[in-house]
Amino acid sequence: MRAACLAAAALAMIGAVQLYRAHIEARLLRSDPESLPTDAAMMQFARAPGRQLYEAHCASCHGLAGGGDTARGVPALNDADWLYGSGSVADIERVIDYGIRSYHPKAWNLAVMPAYARPQPSTRESRLEPLSPGEIRDVVEYLWARQGRDADVEAARRGAQVYAGRGGCYDCHAPDAQGDSAIGAPNLTDRITLYGDGSREALALSVAYGRQGVCPAWTGRLRAADIRELALYVYSLSHTRRRHVEG
Amino acid sequence: MSKVSGADHSWRDFTRVSPARSFFLMGCGALLGLGLAGYSLFTARGTSTLRVPPEAVALVNQQPISRSDYLAQMQTLYGVDPAHATRAERAQVLEDMIREELFVQRGKELDLVSSDPETRAALVNAVELEIAADAITAQPSEAALRAYYEVHRTRYVSEGTMRLRDLVFAPGDAAGAARAVLMLKSATPGAPLPGELQARDSGKIADEEFYFAARIHLGERLFEAAQRLGDGAVCAPIETADGIHVLYMLENRVPARFAYEAARDQVLKDYRNDAIAHLRTGDELFLRRRANVLIADDLR
Repeated sequence: MRAACLAAAALAMIGAVQLYRAHIEARLLRSDPESLPTDAAMMQFARAPGRQLYEAHCASCHGLAGGGDTARGVPALNDADWLYGSGSVADIERVIDYGIRSYHPKAWNLAVMPAYARPQPSTRESRLEPLSPGEIRDVVEYLWARQGRDADVEAARRGAQVYAGRGGCYDCHAPDAQGDSAIGAPNLTDRITLYGDGSREALALSVAYGRQGVCPAWTGRLRAADIRELALYVYSLSHTRRRHVEG
Repeated sequence: MSKVSGADHSWRDFTRVSPARSFFLMGCGALLGLGLAGYSLFTARGTSTLRVPPEAVALVNQQPISRSDYLAQMQTLYGVDPAHATRAERAQVLEDMIREELFVQRGKELDLVSSDPETRAALVNAVELEIAADAITAQPSEAALRAYYEVHRTRYVSEGTMRLRDLVFAPGDAAGAARAVLMLKSATPGAPLPGELQARDSGKIADEEFYFAARIHLGERLFEAAQRLGDGAVCAPIETADGIHVLYMLENRVPARFAYEAARDQVLKDYRNDAIAHLRTGDELFLRRRANVLIADDLR
């Protein structure tokens, strides 16, 4: 009988824990996502499961510490540079929910870097024409100059014309080349590299053969509460590091 | 044979049969079963409930409106998060989303899908996505991607480039063209062309060009000849309608295979697209097999 009582008590305990967890998860979901990072109790609650989810689903590409992988074009999640959105919890959550170029109808997939060394650089923008190898080198030189590096001035001048004209680069990366996080077009004036080592050759490869990184959609595969916990964990990756750096 | 418990035997003694214990355990089991049944009844998908789940902001005829979509809509319309939105803005977003859901539900009732071409097209797209969901969401292993890359390695090459002079001699000036070939073969690569060549540059290749552009500019026949030339090489004269062409290759960079890391994006995309195409074909076959399709006599 004692065993039966113990089993019943254990069941009741598990039920109570589940109920408590469900209650906190409901609070987590109903809270304004941007207010959560300042709620220490909620962050504490989300951290362990968020970390587990991150290690199970994200770390294989983004790395355990969220450092990314420039060889594969996987963005770092532990810095303050956000390719999509502003790095708010809601923005992170949206990427986790619907992915990037994941084929989900709500995925972030407005922009794809054209391949200017191919006869048809973009399947979406049929008006875009290919560039010549010389023009590609000029554009790279222009970007090199925009990043404040030593560049061939004449080639950079020609590259600026291609950037603002035939290449149509301005359309996504903005006329000032500072990018547009609303469509995932990276800032080309900083030295933060998504693909390769940031060399001229790596830049030329991106311009010549295009880029189209993907992130899968997790909606339907993870629970809404899991996605919120994961978003908070990813948010904490960059903000913990930033606090360390600032400190 | 089991022993019947006497009144003096404790019901805690598991070596003996105890009717009191049996009834107690049966009662516990019944209560647990009822609890589970009740929980399932009120939480199963499609169950009518008066409680809005935490991941939703509203239920419209039991259809949830996702909180995540609500936040995204708020951001899109007003550029703010709920904490910074006014009460009116929050209400407006919610009203808009409820209205949309009501109209979608009404559309289903009216069976618009059977008549409205746009709705039909959207539905076809959505079903195609649904079919492909497994391939879309599955993250292939690096080993699988590398294997795919090895099998399809011819896809992952750079575009070749060439820089050349296309010298055109007057029709019939075969001797001049042959002389030019001899002179160019002994010339230093990259040096200015000898002035005594009685030829004009066609200007078809202005500077360094990708193969596909050179093919367009030179035409198929000249391009095929040019493609085979190494740096500093000269082709045999080629007679065409506009004269005799001598191609002098300054620099020819043939297409090179991309390393797996450099091509990974494209490999992943191609891998997924192949998997999606495979799934779609399979599903279409399945749908056709189970469907009863009758075709009019005149179209058979």
